[in-house]
Amino acid sequence: MSITNLLENWSDFRQQHPSDDRPHREYKWAMSIDLDSCTGCNACSVACYAENNLPVVGKVKFSHGHSHHWIRIERYWDNDGREFADQGAQFLPMLCQHCESAPCETVCPVGATNHTADGLNSQVYNRCVGSRYCNANCPYKVRYFNWYDYPTTDNVWPEPMNQQLNPDVTVRGKGVMEKCTFCVQRLTVAKSNARTEGRLVLDGEVQTACQQVCPTGAITFGNLVDPLAKVGKQWMTQQVELNKDKQAKNEAEEAAKLRGYRILEELRTYPSVMYLEQLRESAI
Amino acid sequence: MEKDIREDIAWAQINKDVLKSLESPRRLYWVILLIALAMISVAVGCEIYQYTTGMGVSNKNNSHVWSLYIATFIFWIGMSHSGTLLSAILHLMHADWRKPIYRFAEAMTTFSLMTAGLFVMVHLGRLWQVYYVMPYPNERWVWPNFQSPLVWDMFAIATYLSSSVLFLYVGMIPDLAICRDNIHAGWRKKLYTVMSLGWEGTDRQWRNFRVTYLTIACFLIPLAVSVHSIVASDFAMSNMPGWHVTSFPPYFVAGALYSGCAAIITLFIILRYVFRFEEYMTLPIMKKLVRLTFAIAMVWTYLNLIEFASVWYGHDQTAKDQLIFKATGPYAPFFWAMIFFGSILPLMLAFKRFQTHLPILFVVSILLNVGMWLERWMIISPSFAHGHYPWTWDHDQWPSLVQWGIVFGSFGWFTLLFMVFCKVFPSVSMYEVKEMVYHRSLALKHKPAVKGDY
Amino acid sequence: MSKRHLLALFNDFDEAVAAIAELRGANIKGFDMDDMILKSPIEHPEVEKVLGDKPVNVQWFTLIGACTGALLAFFLVSGAQANFFSQIKGGKPIVPLPPNFVLTYEMFILGGVFITILGFLICAGLPAKRSSLYSVKVSEDQIGILVKGDESAVAAFKTIFTKHKALEIQEEAGK
Repeated sequence: MSITNLLENWSDFRQQHPSDDRPHREYKWAMSIDLDSCTGCNACSVACYAENNLPVVGKVKFSHGHSHHWIRIERYWDNDGREFADQGAQFLPMLCQHCESAPCETVCPVGATNHTADGLNSQVYNRCVGSRYCNANCPYKVRYFNWYDYPTTDNVWPEPMNQQLNPDVTVRGKGVMEKCTFCVQRLTVAKSNARTEGRLVLDGEVQTACQQVCPTGAITFGNLVDPLAKVGKQWMTQQVELNKDKQAKNEAEEAAKLRGYRILEELRTYPSVMYLEQLRESAI
Repeated sequence: MEKDIREDIAWAQINKDVLKSLESPRRLYWVILLIALAMISVAVGCEIYQYTTGMGVSNKNNSHVWSLYIATFIFWIGMSHSGTLLSAILHLMHADWRKPIYRFAEAMTTFSLMTAGLFVMVHLGRLWQVYYVMPYPNERWVWPNFQSPLVWDMFAIATYLSSSVLFLYVGMIPDLAICRDNIHAGWRKKLYTVMSLGWEGTDRQWRNFRVTYLTIACFLIPLAVSVHSIVASDFAMSNMPGWHVTSFPPYFVAGALYSGCAAIITLFIILRYVFRFEEYMTLPIMKKLVRLTFAIAMVWTYLNLIEFASVWYGHDQTAKDQLIFKATGPYAPFFWAMIFFGSILPLMLAFKRFQTHLPILFVVSILLNVGMWLERWMIISPSFAHGHYPWTWDHDQWPSLVQWGIVFGSFGWFTLLFMVFCKVFPSVSMYEVKEMVYHRSLALKHKPAVKGDY
Repeated sequence: MSKRHLLALFNDFDEAVAAIAELRGANIKGFDMDDMILKSPIEHPEVEKVLGDKPVNVQWFTLIGACTGALLAFFLVSGAQANFFSQIKGGKPIVPLPPNFVLTYEMFILGGVFITILGFLICAGLPAKRSSLYSVKVSEDQIGILVKGDESAVAAFKTIFTKHKALEIQEEAGK
């Protein structure tokens, strides 16, 4: 047990974060969303509500800003020289980006949010004390706080909606922060089943609720480590790398032809969600 | 020029004057105490409502998650720097004009910190689990996240509060001995007897006392600077535009000293009037205090302007937009009020006419603190209303009455604590005033032709 | 021979110092210089010259306290971070040094302050048992010199004290 050995092991232990030198080993869950395919139908948002027991906060609370949608469809109006703004509507589904270098994780005082081995940003509800620092630090503002005790509030799951609540997911009380988990309850079951069979999860075997429901197939979700996974192939075609804050392709001439990008990449959050830019008529 | 204190004050007179302030209070005291209790009950009522219903009643929402609680928390921590400034920094600089006024300033430090601690708990969504933030061994091997500036806050404030209380207490021991010796029998005499630890002013006790006081003063200065720098790190360590500014730690420390000095002026005027301490809290001392406040106000103004200048120099468009939003958006009136109260109003303190005019100083010092409170709020809310992400823009949010009620009540809590302190413990340090008189009379004896301000 | 206490009160500090100097020079039999205590309402560092060299050990406590505080903080925090369930947060190392430094610094100060106060209490002998002779005037404006000596020395004490204009001399009641 030499000193060099000790120092190397210690350095190794300190730098456990997956990077180019030490990539993720079995799973790294990532997503890609095609904004050209997205019609803004909100099916993904509704499916997320159904799958994760999200409370319906109601019109009044929503207008106060107490929205509780883990995946939200943002609407951007781009005239692009057209007569009516609606003709240039663009929709962007925004959900937790599961950043590799998540700014929310460092600032939680009690350590309620951490990074799992398979690349997810986890939220531990019973540890959360509700300081809301994670939301303050999230550049995308995709974290949602339980401003009231929704499970005991009326009309949150009006009859018969309470019959469709998912038993695999907890119900959160007041004062707790929550966000998209990439349907971790489905991932856990899929991984467990695969392990029983002595293999890894195959591409397409597990789907997030939003992916499952999207009518145009705009959302692709899978394991970046798996060479056969569709999402990995998309990332590679678009030349977007997980561990870079500035993609090399942006310097090149044909940058305009590759639609893939990540939002607010320059903040060095290394998000796991890649967006494929909508094709604009003016660009063609 | 007038002297800071008369050199011929009899020491027995000093004892008598200060001990007189500990007598049974007059009716006005009870009236104000009742008002303070009323304010506290407003806050408690609001907090109970918030606790049972949920944080949503405070009107915070999902992009705008922090508001007045954090602003007021930082305001109270800032105000607590007064005591350290006076007792520790001025002590090391041998500025003995601090001697009649540092006792109540230190008390102010302690009570400000206690008030600030309450706001931490009020701010949490699940305050019954606030102990999760503390590092205690448990069977789940779960520890707080030491990377978080909020955990640093907890360590820093716990250190600062306990050190301030101990410093206040140790510095009070000789005074408590005086109280013990001169008070009639009763609960007070028992209290002072126990708390003065049998102090008799022996040379051994004084010798060690002197070294201890100096050592703790040397520790308190870096502590005060680090505490408010850590509080500033709550913002500086995040990536929000308008927060991720390297000059925040010194900016906050300057703001804290500013706040503290203004509060000292306010309390100075009140105590001087109520307890008739005109011989001790003299106008020349007030003049020095006012000049110190003016100097710190200018430092704060400079750091404020530097922050704006660095945004102007940088290429960060979001930060530029954020600053313009602060100055021209829905929060603009408060922003400009902060600039006026914080930078323009103190300019009048440069004029000799106002430096000893107590009624004006009283009003001005309160307005300066209003400006400092607005500063904290203007750091928090505009950044949430115009962050990196377009979805957050135009998310301006105004605090509900629940928030205002709790902020309002905190002043009642502070007043209650301070008033109880003033009637149980001497708010002017008797032995230090004696030292001041002694050294000045010695100086007078050896240098008969001393002219000009001391 | 039993020891008796004597307390002399002075109005003038210089006279009290002169009295101490004379006590020291007079070499009275049955009196040891260590049995003399000066009591004053304010601190008088100038009296050290006549009292003799008495070391102050408080700052040793400070050193030990501050170093212990810093080491304890660093190892507590790093140990807590490096436990078996260590989790990555924000892509940072498991045992990140910048935050650990901040906490070490705070605990350095905490340890320093607390142990200094403990040291003060130990070195100053507080809480102290009240001495048999005490005058409330000492906390007001008079200097007191408390001496302990044999019966034979009492007369010598009294002469020196009266020579230096002692306002009052208290004697412990004889056994």
